[in-house]
Amino acid sequence: MAEWARASLAARIALAVLVVALIGWPVARLIGVATETGLASVAATLTGSLAQSAIFNSLWTSALVALLAVIAGTSAALVTERSTVPGRRALRLGLLLPLLVPPFVSAYGWTRAYGQHGLLDQATGLSLPGVYGPLGIILVLTVASTPIVWLIVAGALATRVEPDLERAARASGAGSRETFRTVTLPLLRPALLSAAMIVFVFAVNAFGVPAVLGTPAGFATVTTRIYQDLALSADPAAFARATTMALGLVALALVVVSSSDLLLAGRPAVRTALPAGGRVDGRGGWITAMLLGGAIVVAAIVPLGALLLTALTRAAGLPPVPANWTLANFGDALESPFLTGLAHSILLATAAATLVLVLGTLAATAIRGRSRWLGAAIAISFAVPGSALAVAMLLAYGGWLRDSLAIILVAYLAKFWALGHRQLAGSIDRLPADQLRAARASGAGSLDALRSVAWPILWPSIAAGWLVVFVFALHELTMSSLLYGPGSATLAVVVLNVQQLGDPTVTAALAVLLTGIVVLAAAPLGFLRWRNEGRHRQQGDRELP
Amino acid sequence: MTTNPAVECRDVTIGYGSTMVVSGLDLEVQSGEMVALLGPSGSGKTTILSALAGFVPIRSGEILMGGRVVATGQRHEPPERRDVAVVFQSYALWPHLTVLETVAYPMRRRGVRPAEAHLQAASILERLGIGQLAGRRPAELSGGEQQRVGLGRALAREAGVYLFDEPTAHLDAELREQLQMVIAAQRRRSEAAAIYATHDTAEALGLADRVLLVRDGRVVQEGSPSAVYERPVDMWAARLTGPASRVAVQVQDLRDGHARIDVAGSSQVVAIGGVDGTPRGVVQAILRPDWVHVGGDLQAQVDGVAFRGTHTDYQLSTPAGSLALRVIGPPTIERGATIGCTLDRVWIPADRVDGEGTDGSAL
Repeated sequence: MAEWARASLAARIALAVLVVALIGWPVARLIGVATETGLASVAATLTGSLAQSAIFNSLWTSALVALLAVIAGTSAALVTERSTVPGRRALRLGLLLPLLVPPFVSAYGWTRAYGQHGLLDQATGLSLPGVYGPLGIILVLTVASTPIVWLIVAGALATRVEPDLERAARASGAGSRETFRTVTLPLLRPALLSAAMIVFVFAVNAFGVPAVLGTPAGFATVTTRIYQDLALSADPAAFARATTMALGLVALALVVVSSSDLLLAGRPAVRTALPAGGRVDGRGGWITAMLLGGAIVVAAIVPLGALLLTALTRAAGLPPVPANWTLANFGDALESPFLTGLAHSILLATAAATLVLVLGTLAATAIRGRSRWLGAAIAISFAVPGSALAVAMLLAYGGWLRDSLAIILVAYLAKFWALGHRQLAGSIDRLPADQLRAARASGAGSLDALRSVAWPILWPSIAAGWLVVFVFALHELTMSSLLYGPGSATLAVVVLNVQQLGDPTVTAALAVLLTGIVVLAAAPLGFLRWRNEGRHRQQGDRELP
Repeated sequence: MTTNPAVECRDVTIGYGSTMVVSGLDLEVQSGEMVALLGPSGSGKTTILSALAGFVPIRSGEILMGGRVVATGQRHEPPERRDVAVVFQSYALWPHLTVLETVAYPMRRRGVRPAEAHLQAASILERLGIGQLAGRRPAELSGGEQQRVGLGRALAREAGVYLFDEPTAHLDAELREQLQMVIAAQRRRSEAAAIYATHDTAEALGLADRVLLVRDGRVVQEGSPSAVYERPVDMWAARLTGPASRVAVQVQDLRDGHARIDVAGSSQVVAIGGVDGTPRGVVQAILRPDWVHVGGDLQAQVDGVAFRGTHTDYQLSTPAGSLALRVIGPPTIERGATIGCTLDRVWIPADRVDGEGTDGSAL
């Protein structure tokens, strides 16, 4: 056991050094620079009108997004996990769809579908007037974050709200609504709270959506304000404002994370149950399924279709009918710096995913059961908004790494470490210690036991962890847009830049390509999930009453 | 005027998807009666209870409670409108409610005012000997305490039908017996019907007025506890209801429930059941370990000795088959010894077919 202790100690030291390098030092630099001129000037900066309106806009839109996403995600989870409506499998897939579409692509899709000169406008003369502005931001961010809530609530329904608990209420004389109010809802409350906080942080962090929908309408949030101050301005006052607001975002993340262990809350749903009342939904079930399916179509599928049609149309003003179709936009898209960006992103995503797994293993072995602060530090780095993290990275390492891929990679590592760690730590914790002991007691050496017992159980999680980081890094926009230089633009940055130049058809083609690449990269995840679900279903069959 | 049975199932079929879990179930339980559903895990006991409670719909047939139809293949009345209370194997205690709130819950649902409900709940807790736990939450309770709370909640429902779904399955032997005594005591106070699913033989025979043996979703046999123990329909039923062994015998001179039988070359006079006329040839007889005693001319070799505390179980082998023998007290015979023994009683089940001798080959 001494070798194990030594290895564990070495891992913990390495880990501490990495935490300092990736998170501690950048945040320290951020604090140092932001407060350089004294707290009075911090206060003055934050109460300046530009900063104040950005902060106010971020807070109220994010709060609304959190509220709406929790309502939408919870209702969806109750339908897919606690009813017998037809087509639940398809509905589940549809609910996961927004996770595969980069939010700013979805935002752009909304403008093409429901904005002026959009698909709906061309077909019926109707358009959603507020697509550019807070309404559009709120709607698109709600669509993007509903799957997160759905996953958390479906997981909580499976693990916290045992079907027997609801049955016991029904058998005690409570009707279905009363059961929901007195049993289901109270049991879901912690999950709902943490889902709301995760979505709130997600919405405050969002950059692409307000950049696409807010900036043209003159509606600034903290993240777009930081971007404008940092990337488009040489004014020292703007720089001070950016660092101060970045510090504010870090503080917000600290408050939210410390108030709950929220990053560990979400687990995919593994078990479903019949409604406790035993009623099989008849026509009402069809109506519910159609409503939910219709919402998915309107919110996620139509915008994507609009993008595709725009990408296929010769010029922006033409109606998207086959006579006007062309593939030329894709040719133009591929001539743009797209391929360089793609190469950069694949390189960065591969490196980030692989290193995150190494870091995650390090953290998972070192932390297991001890030193919770390390886990907390890693979780906080995930909650720290990309904008703030990027500013901190610039301050810490901008001197030598400015405009290089390396500084983007460092930022990715700091940001996505939590994803890899959570995935690994989760599955390592679920690996019963007795299984390894049984292998040792059957004559396997320590490495042999890991290979023959732990690996077959852990590899799907390891693969999934790698893929999740890869997919996130592949379309990362917020940090890349602040950190890239002339020779280091990433995929999403290229798309955003073309979008801001204003050619709708080429932008649409790029957005379609980007989405296609993300979906392709995420496809193996779907396979892993399906495989996992299949196994659980088999177990479930045996457990049926 | 005849009173309706508390529960009645008529040709009930229950299934999920394409699998039938229960088929052709007929069942009648009177008020004040306790019926045990005894069967191995996966036999469909829990499914039957779920259908009675209204947690799952039935495919066909009908379920009546107090003469009122509560479920058919088309119609389904939800649990809260049926006159049932359920005690769950998983306890199913709500983690966010205290013990007192949990027991008060069913009363609150039928409109009892909070203060009154808490008062009544407290008195139920006292009755179950857990009054001191009123303020606790489930996480602070042991398994035995949790199930008493579950029982208290069911009692608070004041239902006409109580459904027990293996309530003691997760408890160790001592707690299990304690809880059984609590349930038996509560039942004596009540006029309600009770259906008790379990895979524990002793529990089923000890608690119930009537036992139903369930296998693959069908009722294989039903009768009083002593009837199912003494007159199992086949070897499966015999093993389910207690230790049993099977030996090949030839029956002669059957008269007034007694017969001379020929077993492994020894001739014995025994009490015999299961046959009206003298069966021809060699038949398989079922024996309980307490139907054999030491001493006599049936030669048997002792293959195994297991001391159980109050008694000792011997595993014997004879040319006619192996034989279980139970003797009060510690072991007195060693493994490997050959002893003589006597059969007091045998049971010839309906599936006596042996493959060799029903067609009356030779006497």
